[in-house]
Amino acid sequence: MRRPSAGFRLAARLRIASAPYLFLSPFLLLFAVFGLVPLAFSVAMACMRWDPVEGFGSMRFVGAENFAFTLGDPWFWKSLYNTLWLSLAAGVPQHVVAIPLAYFLHRALARTRNAIVAAYFLPYITSTVAIAILASALFSTDYGLVNDAVRSLAALPGLGSLLPAEGVDWLGSSRAVKPTVAIVVFWRYVGFNTVLYLAALQAIPREIYEASEIDGAGAWMRFRFITLPLLRPTMLFGVTLSVIGGLQLFEEPFILTPDGRGGPSHAAMTTAMYMYRTAFEFNDFGSASAISWLLFAVVGILVFVAYRWLRPRGAEA
Amino acid sequence: MQRRQLLIAGLLSPLLARAQARARLTVAAFPSVDAILKAANGDWQAREPGVELEVVSRAMVDHHTAMVTSIATRSHLPDVIAIELSYLGRFAGSGALEDLSQPAYGARELSAQFVPFAVRQATTPQGALVALPADVAPGTLFYRLDRLEKSGADLGELTRSWESFVATGVRLKAETGAHLIAHARDLKDVIVRANMGPNEGTYVDHAGRVLVDSPRFHRAFELARQVRVQGLDARTTAWSSEWAEGLRRGTIATQMMGSWLAGHLCSWLAPTTAGLWRAAQLPDGVHCAWGGTFYAIPKEAKNKPLALELIKLMTLDPKRQLAAFKSEDSFPALLETYGDGFFEAPIAFLGGQRARLIWRDAAQAILPFSVHRLDPIATEIVDSALDDVLGEGVDIPTALGEAQRMLERRALRA
Amino acid sequence: MSIPLAPPRARGLPALSRAGAMLLVLVGAAIMLAPFYFMFVFATHARAEIFQLPPPLVFGRTLLDNIGILEAHIPFWRNLGWSLYVGVMSTALTLLVASIGGYAFAMYEFRFKNALFALVLGMMMLPSFLSMIPTFLIMDALGWIDQPRALYVPSAANAFGVFLMRQFIATSIPREIVEAARMDGCGEFRIYRSIVLPLLGPPLGVLGLIAFIASWNNFIGPLVVLRSSAMYTLPLALRSMQNPVNAEWGALMAGAAIATLPLMVAFALASRRLISGLTAGAIK
Repeated sequence: MRRPSAGFRLAARLRIASAPYLFLSPFLLLFAVFGLVPLAFSVAMACMRWDPVEGFGSMRFVGAENFAFTLGDPWFWKSLYNTLWLSLAAGVPQHVVAIPLAYFLHRALARTRNAIVAAYFLPYITSTVAIAILASALFSTDYGLVNDAVRSLAALPGLGSLLPAEGVDWLGSSRAVKPTVAIVVFWRYVGFNTVLYLAALQAIPREIYEASEIDGAGAWMRFRFITLPLLRPTMLFGVTLSVIGGLQLFEEPFILTPDGRGGPSHAAMTTAMYMYRTAFEFNDFGSASAISWLLFAVVGILVFVAYRWLRPRGAEA
Repeated sequence: MQRRQLLIAGLLSPLLARAQARARLTVAAFPSVDAILKAANGDWQAREPGVELEVVSRAMVDHHTAMVTSIATRSHLPDVIAIELSYLGRFAGSGALEDLSQPAYGARELSAQFVPFAVRQATTPQGALVALPADVAPGTLFYRLDRLEKSGADLGELTRSWESFVATGVRLKAETGAHLIAHARDLKDVIVRANMGPNEGTYVDHAGRVLVDSPRFHRAFELARQVRVQGLDARTTAWSSEWAEGLRRGTIATQMMGSWLAGHLCSWLAPTTAGLWRAAQLPDGVHCAWGGTFYAIPKEAKNKPLALELIKLMTLDPKRQLAAFKSEDSFPALLETYGDGFFEAPIAFLGGQRARLIWRDAAQAILPFSVHRLDPIATEIVDSALDDVLGEGVDIPTALGEAQRMLERRALRA
Repeated sequence: MSIPLAPPRARGLPALSRAGAMLLVLVGAAIMLAPFYFMFVFATHARAEIFQLPPPLVFGRTLLDNIGILEAHIPFWRNLGWSLYVGVMSTALTLLVASIGGYAFAMYEFRFKNALFALVLGMMMLPSFLSMIPTFLIMDALGWIDQPRALYVPSAANAFGVFLMRQFIATSIPREIVEAARMDGCGEFRIYRSIVLPLLGPPLGVLGLIAFIASWNNFIGPLVVLRSSAMYTLPLALRSMQNPVNAEWGALMAGAAIATLPLMVAFALASRRLISGLTAGAIK
């Protein structure tokens, strides 16, 4: 190979140095046009009072008043509590179930794998209208299948005494509506996470497992000492997504509570729902923007914490 | 000379005809107003040949959101906007709609032809008439005659006052096992919307004082609490499958709603209960509206004279009003139609009852209510307070006091 | 601690616990599947039947009637066509933009890298409703109102996509390949296109699927920029049939069920990519 000249090396270095910027330019351009203006608008709006129906001219600058009001608003804090509760209650099981499930599907099944993964993924693509009707039918207090099961189980001696004999008011009581929403969210996204982990597992070289089997490592050993560490980056990724998605949870509680109001005593009202209602029902775009930025701050803090906790030691993050 | 003019006119006329055909009127609406508009196309073409009627339809909530977006930016507004009663107050106060009482439109003289409350709703405090009413939904009480008879109570006891309504509910429960109403909140909603003082809105009075901690609300909350405590409500929300099932099985004995519910019960909600239901006026002499549709012209509309023609067709033409009534159960707002024989016709589903006469009286007796900027959030706060009373065992003075404080905090933000 | 010698078995799980795990997985799959199944069942029933409790469990006979009602209310097939067009364009653009952007973050060190990555992450954290009005203004200024490009062009700035691609590339593609190619005199873009891109099957599959689904189900975007019924995409069109109190539930379910079919096709296509067992053997 001919030794490259100095000029060639310089040109190559410039090419390499400029490459990342060039590669990122389509994304940044799109962001600049379609993301920046709404972002700036939202920042400005957080310091204004505005009812959109009155037109642009009616915007009034109010400084930090929206933030002050929101921070003193008991409903904001309630929504934040609900959001965190739902994120954890739905998010943790998702990963705890998705990882072993993906592993099982990856290692133990070949022929039926596609069909089963498809079945687990289906909730993600089921229409929300269908989900709403079905949830209302399944979880109906008087006529639903879930309560039928609860009532039958409650009639059993022993275990039955733990369950309420007349069933649970899943969607109508402030205590039960949160677990119900969490169940639906879990149901909806566990398949998505399974697919994610499955894709990551596909990338782990088979040779590593084969080598460990030859060394005599059992299934659990392999899982714990090979799979889990190699999955750590994916776990970080998945957990970050779940944190962000969970904190922005909107759709499921919206369709499961009448009028999207968050259920009895606002037990299932998430911060994203509260923000939506503030903007479009209470006609207060300024406060809604303030809520969204406060939520952004919370998400940011939690993502930062997740990064520190799950960041791979030493190796490339 | 004349021949040349004729020749030119002859050459130009297809162009003119095409130009005229390209004239288009855009109407933004929602179901089932869109169906009513499309059905009117025949008559529209007869009045304004060659003007295409384009109906842009969205789900009701989406439609109003899209209109808010357009009004905020004053851009891409249609020529005519259909507005639902619950959104009317907000849009009316926006200043984005044409004042139809101006001489150019001349709607002031026409307003006497409509149900009185509808016109008042469409009039801003400054006196501008921003929309004309197409339909109203008079509230009515549907009840299961068989359940009432079995309980030994009569209609008078059911409807004399709210207190007797609840007392009859106790008897219904004892004798038939049926619940009085679907949800205690429904009772609170109706009671709160009635009996307002002269300078009062629902939640806030004209001076901006919050009215939540007042006798009207205390009475509503107390009655709702009694209903819940005595097990008189089925704890289901309207339009859920559980609610539909309750109506079908007769475990819900009464339902207060707009008169159009009869059509739904008959066609899909509970067709097997035909003949078992009757309609009556709401208890305690209350009359309120469960919705209504209005048509307005935005200031940025391109074709205002044509827009006005369309609105007149939809609101002032008895033929179209009655057609909408018959096909979509859209109760007319035009007083002239009230003499039509259709109102006298017996309704088979209600056991042959001439219920439309009841509804006609109700529509004319509805009182207008003033709308305040804080109404949506106030509704939410009061509903949440009621949830606390019903579900968390909070006592009424505490709940209403807290609600009052929360609303005042918002009212102070001006 | 001594590691017990396991018998040389290909899978390594004792048969009984494997059967137990399999049963659990199948029961789970049935639960996952159920609402989806019901969506199709509902599509074949009239609305009175759908609102019954218990709901209908087997297929009914009114599918064609429901489709007829659907077609009478909205230009369904046309809306389906628009959804397909926007979905495909959005997916293609997203894959292009995100893969090359993710590659940049994964393979290069450059100034502002962390700041830009934080920006990308930050973008993921912003909810979309509040941007409705400014988005409307931008599209109006560009003259894109009522046009499909107003939907698929902005969607390509998919922060999640960049995040996903960066993740995969950073963990699965060793720098050595890139270095080696550079030493061989390959241009940067050529390295990306000829060497790295072919290895990105699984994440492209996942991202493509997610992007397609997101575009398909998006209704806020279309609500803001589409102004005529003939241009609607499916979610907006189906919602426009929802009278607050009187939806044609049977027809709506039929529409929703048909609307899910392309998503299933997309999933089938994507899973072939992801689960085709593209192992790191290829990397060697």
